[in-house]
Amino acid sequence: MKHEIKVNINGQLRELTVLSHQTLLEVIREDLGLTGAKYGCSTGECGACSVLMNGEVVNSCMVLAPEADGATIITVEGLSDDEELHPLQKSFIDHHGVQCGYCAPGMLISAKALLNRTSRPHEEEIREALVGNLCRCGAYADIIKSIQVASRARR
Amino acid sequence: MVTRKTHIIGKPFPLVEAQKKLTGVSCYAGDEPFGPELLHARILFSERGHARFRLLHVDAARKQEGVVALITGQELRARLGAVIEDREMLAAEEVLYAGQPLAVVAAESPEAAMAALSTIEVVYEDLPGVYDLEDALAADAPLVHPNMASYRGFEQLNPQPERNLAHRIAFQRGDVDKALSEAAFVLERTYSAAPLQHAPLETHGGVAQLGEQGELTLWLHVQAPFLQRQVIARALKMPPHNLRIVTQCVGGSFGSKVAVSVEGLLAAIAREAGGRPVRLHLTREEEFRAVFMTPAMRARVTMGMDENGRITAIRAVYDWNVGASVDPFIVEMQRIALAGTGPYAIPNADIQVNAVYTHLLPAAPMRGLSIAQVHWAVEQHVDELAEMAARSPLGLRQQNLVKGGDQLFPEFVMHANGLESCILETSRAIGWDPAQQRIQTGTTARGKGVAMGWSPIIVFPHCKSRATIQCDGENLCTVIVDGVDVGQGYYAFITQLIAFELNFPMEWITVLPTDTDKYEPDWQAIHHNLLWSTGRALLQATAELKRQILSYVSEIWEEPVTNLDIVDGEVISYATRRRLSVLKLLQEGTGEDSPPVFRATGVYEAPDREGGLGSLLQSFATTGYAAEVVVNLETGDLSVLQLAGAADVGHAINPEGVKAQLKGGIIQSISQTLLEEMRFENGVPVTIDFMSYPIATTADMPQQIHPIVVEIPQSTGPYGARDLSDHVLVGASAAIGNAVYRATGVRIRELPITAQRIYDALQSQAAKVER
Repeated sequence: MKHEIKVNINGQLRELTVLSHQTLLEVIREDLGLTGAKYGCSTGECGACSVLMNGEVVNSCMVLAPEADGATIITVEGLSDDEELHPLQKSFIDHHGVQCGYCAPGMLISAKALLNRTSRPHEEEIREALVGNLCRCGAYADIIKSIQVASRARR
Repeated sequence: MVTRKTHIIGKPFPLVEAQKKLTGVSCYAGDEPFGPELLHARILFSERGHARFRLLHVDAARKQEGVVALITGQELRARLGAVIEDREMLAAEEVLYAGQPLAVVAAESPEAAMAALSTIEVVYEDLPGVYDLEDALAADAPLVHPNMASYRGFEQLNPQPERNLAHRIAFQRGDVDKALSEAAFVLERTYSAAPLQHAPLETHGGVAQLGEQGELTLWLHVQAPFLQRQVIARALKMPPHNLRIVTQCVGGSFGSKVAVSVEGLLAAIAREAGGRPVRLHLTREEEFRAVFMTPAMRARVTMGMDENGRITAIRAVYDWNVGASVDPFIVEMQRIALAGTGPYAIPNADIQVNAVYTHLLPAAPMRGLSIAQVHWAVEQHVDELAEMAARSPLGLRQQNLVKGGDQLFPEFVMHANGLESCILETSRAIGWDPAQQRIQTGTTARGKGVAMGWSPIIVFPHCKSRATIQCDGENLCTVIVDGVDVGQGYYAFITQLIAFELNFPMEWITVLPTDTDKYEPDWQAIHHNLLWSTGRALLQATAELKRQILSYVSEIWEEPVTNLDIVDGEVISYATRRRLSVLKLLQEGTGEDSPPVFRATGVYEAPDREGGLGSLLQSFATTGYAAEVVVNLETGDLSVLQLAGAADVGHAINPEGVKAQLKGGIIQSISQTLLEEMRFENGVPVTIDFMSYPIATTADMPQQIHPIVVEIPQSTGPYGARDLSDHVLVGASAAIGNAVYRATGVRIRELPITAQRIYDALQSQAAKVER
């Protein structure tokens, strides 16, 4: 069955025709052409597909596209404006928060949601916020450091 | 050399690849933008371990709406293998393992591809299978490869085809029997390690497209494009120059994206797709079921020691369950043999490494290259030996460890190395106290353990690394190499080296995707020592490029080239004080002529060597680990409180990058040691997602991680440096195992160390005490 949905994606209002069984991840990647959110498991276990939906982190592989009707979605592409990287992105570059990089977009989204809630999170809070984001390279220590430094640098 | 103004070697250096990865730029599997022409490939995999089979309704599947091409093993008889071709690309009549491909389809949508495959009915007739080492080596075991002798490459192996022994590497020195009979202490123990999954977060995939001239291009995310081109071209009977592999970002490999897995099927189906691009991207479940496992190990180790604490003899047999294909594992077996004594100069040694065929998923080595599992055995054994003789585990190691100048093999003398610093600094970092056994608080106990490691870096004769640098006005400075950045910081190193040698700003330098079209078809890159081999090639290329630039300017200025140098992106004359921006030179030229283009290629080719196993050795990477754990004595629950890891990298060219690799290795070690185990039922994987096969999350991190960089320069390496990333795991699991022993008094000899295993061991220990 087809559904007409409206989503605000990274500040742009888009009207889309989606199928009942399509996931939000598929729509973001295939229909909207935004490849930052990654396919990692399709079962909500790895967090590579994390996006912000109405301000909350969701695994977009676990959200059916029709459920996103009327939602405001932010993907990793929406973190930086055209001119400048987000402080989190800068900090990940400076503090080796990236190795192979596949988990990085999801990590950034979880970090952004955390900083929206808590401006100066403790290490323990960061660990907790990232527990649903797997990094097979094991870069957690540097990811946590990147987030801590970015939170201190924020205005 | 180090007196230059721009000294960036050994200083913090940013990740040159990071920005695109952090902004969502398309570069991984599944990202490729190919528009509406794109077709989608899916694979039908075997669901049985060992069976004869028939496919029904294949023609009906072919005729379904949206299907463009469908191939089964009846149409495509092709075998895969770099050394021995012991894998069928598509099974024709008999499946040898669950997860073996049976058919591949390309269709207009993923749904149409799936619908076609679900139309096909597979009728299996089960055959007896062997899944573990004991069964596979039993006298009456069914043979996994009864026709092994007919495979291409068979003559390069040392097998016993009548008994599932696929390949053996062994060496002896001294007289082990005599030394063991004279030893004051002799200890024999068996250790084992479970099969693992590499589990890169990016599952296998890519895009392939047939060109008008019959040339096939593959956009892949693999570690070894040159090797893959060779293997796929041979399997599909194509001339290698008709097959091009362009490597995009790699979202983790850990060894799973070296040997060919599904890439050959992508190439095969794209040939039938009428020139349309075809995408394949495995699901997570397919990644678990049908790519590679790492081989399970059983190690039988006997050591002898004299009254003075000198280890005099070792006999070790390492048996590996390689599943239905030994090919991806062959080259590691020499390294395993070379590492097989552990990092000790033991005068009498008898080391045997066996690969055993079973009806399981083919095995490929994982990061740590199976040397990590070898140390799980040897480095626990040394602790057990120390306990037996009432000696300090650290002291015994210091007394026996290999030192610079030790003649290990007729062809190899050990170089200066940081092994002792590694073990001393890591044990200091966790507050190691030799007198302290354990601290018990109520029902929990804490304990500390140490271990060391060495990992052979070997070079096969005529293996090559190549680097080409081009400087022009349009792209400034582009580099093409034959290795691939898989997250280890390889491209950052390349950028750093060129920026240093040419004294250019790093912003001018771009490392281009590795592309097999850029070099001759027979090139085979060296993988586990890319820094060393690419570094040597780059040093040649930069020297030649600098010569070209300075010669060009010297002719224009009519000054001897010896007066000239490049400083901060400018050619300068020390004699006349003239200056010329290289950027301006490249973009505008010097007036009369069009702007120049400079181009140079450097090649490192490994020399011919003669002799035995030791002749392959180039060097050893050395490591040290120290762990503190806490164990609940009632439940067996285990946590790592702190883990220190040290590696001798010769010279840390990018110190923060080195630490990042060490920290990542620490987390991966904890994951492998405590959590990971691939399980099967009748040869069928049952660990098929991150619930049944958990890997470490932030919740599994120790409170403290201590990355320690040791620098004992390697004379032949670029700036004295040595490779690291493949070797960081070596020794860590034994340090944790030794810590568990000191906390609990029970020795766990099977990996992973689960709460159940500790609980069971504590129970049987208590039962013994009661009796």
